[in-house]
Amino acid sequence: MSAIDRALLITGRELAAERRHPDGLVAALTFTGLLVLIESLAFGPGQARQPVVASALFWIAILFAATLVTTRSFDRELEDDAIDAILVLDGGHAALYAGKVVAIGIVLAIVALAAATLSLFLLGLEVALPGHLALVGILGILALPPVIVLTTLIALRVRARVALVPILSFPILIPQLVACTQGAAAALTGDASASLGWAGIVAAFALVYGVLGLTIVPAAIE
Amino acid sequence: MRRVQANAGLPENASLNNVTVVLEDRPILRGISLELRPGLTLVRGPNGAGKTTLLRALAGLTPLARGRRSLPGGVPLYIGHRPMLLRGLTARENLAFLAAFRGRVAGDVAGALRAWGLGDEMDRPIERLSAGQRRRASLARLETEPVPLVLLDEPFADLDSDAIVRLRAALSSAVVRGQAVLVATHMHHELDEGATRRYALDDGVLRET
Repeated sequence: MSAIDRALLITGRELAAERRHPDGLVAALTFTGLLVLIESLAFGPGQARQPVVASALFWIAILFAATLVTTRSFDRELEDDAIDAILVLDGGHAALYAGKVVAIGIVLAIVALAAATLSLFLLGLEVALPGHLALVGILGILALPPVIVLTTLIALRVRARVALVPILSFPILIPQLVACTQGAAAALTGDASASLGWAGIVAAFALVYGVLGLTIVPAAIE
Repeated sequence: MRRVQANAGLPENASLNNVTVVLEDRPILRGISLELRPGLTLVRGPNGAGKTTLLRALAGLTPLARGRRSLPGGVPLYIGHRPMLLRGLTARENLAFLAAFRGRVAGDVAGALRAWGLGDEMDRPIERLSAGQRRRASLARLETEPVPLVLLDEPFADLDSDAIVRLRAALSSAVVRGQAVLVATHMHHELDEGATRRYALDDGVLRET
């Protein structure tokens, strides 16, 4: 069985468990919706409709949602020591990492779609370049899970995991957050070249952290 | 009965050589050497003696502070004192996934679960089963993942008398197939007759009895 097959098995297992008990998805949807709503009210309609502000609000909400979904996913693994059944197997460490990244990316895509719809509707935003916005959105979703899953694995056996994961991952994710915010804002205002430029940076982050995660995850788990 | 394929041509047996494990600055295992030949090996010891750490060290789940672990037969089947099955999936889905991950065809999963008395429960999410049923489901992996080395941590916990009989039979079959089975338990009577080697573990020190 190839490494990709093993990772896809983990992805399928994760999505099957999430489908039967979608507590991670529901929590992320609720949290993201409320966050977008409260942030919009706090800024006021005039400020919140500005492309950079609207994009930043959206990506901050998605970042927190990614942390929530990942934490719930690993909580489930730690109940009954289910994770040990994978870690003992050949290729288990890398497959667990890659499979979780893909599965959490899929769950996050659903959350992002709902949050984007809510933001666009709530703020009455006009999107000048929808294709570019979708590209930045997809790449942004791909870029977040590699870092958050890696830091969760590093902090797996630590009691203060819930606090430690944001402390470890958010500083690393600030450049990605800036790139996603700027790329989405450029797509909203119709600046195609800027949007593509930022999208390229987000793609590079996703690639670098994805490869880095696969490289160091066995040591990180130990 | 089918013998385990990987066992016949093994150059040597799974072993620990002078292994020390330290967790949170406390030595849990102290200079342990152990060779696991085909057959049933029983490790007994009181709570906190280091039995779980010994099995986790053999399974590769605990880093060694000193010494060497050798697993020439490949990845062992390790069933801990908790079921190690993912909540949200059914017993059948869990076992099929784990067998598939090892590259095995998972066709006999339903049969194995039925044999362990879970015919009606195999398609219920694992968290809806009782502790004893979850333990049975995890032990059904003895049939769905027949690998050369099996490590069982307190396998009798939560089992009723029928399941204990079933477990004894499963272990006997494993021994006949040529598997090396290591059982760690604090119970003093369950496997005395069938064990080919017996050890006592106390305060991280292992001695043959």
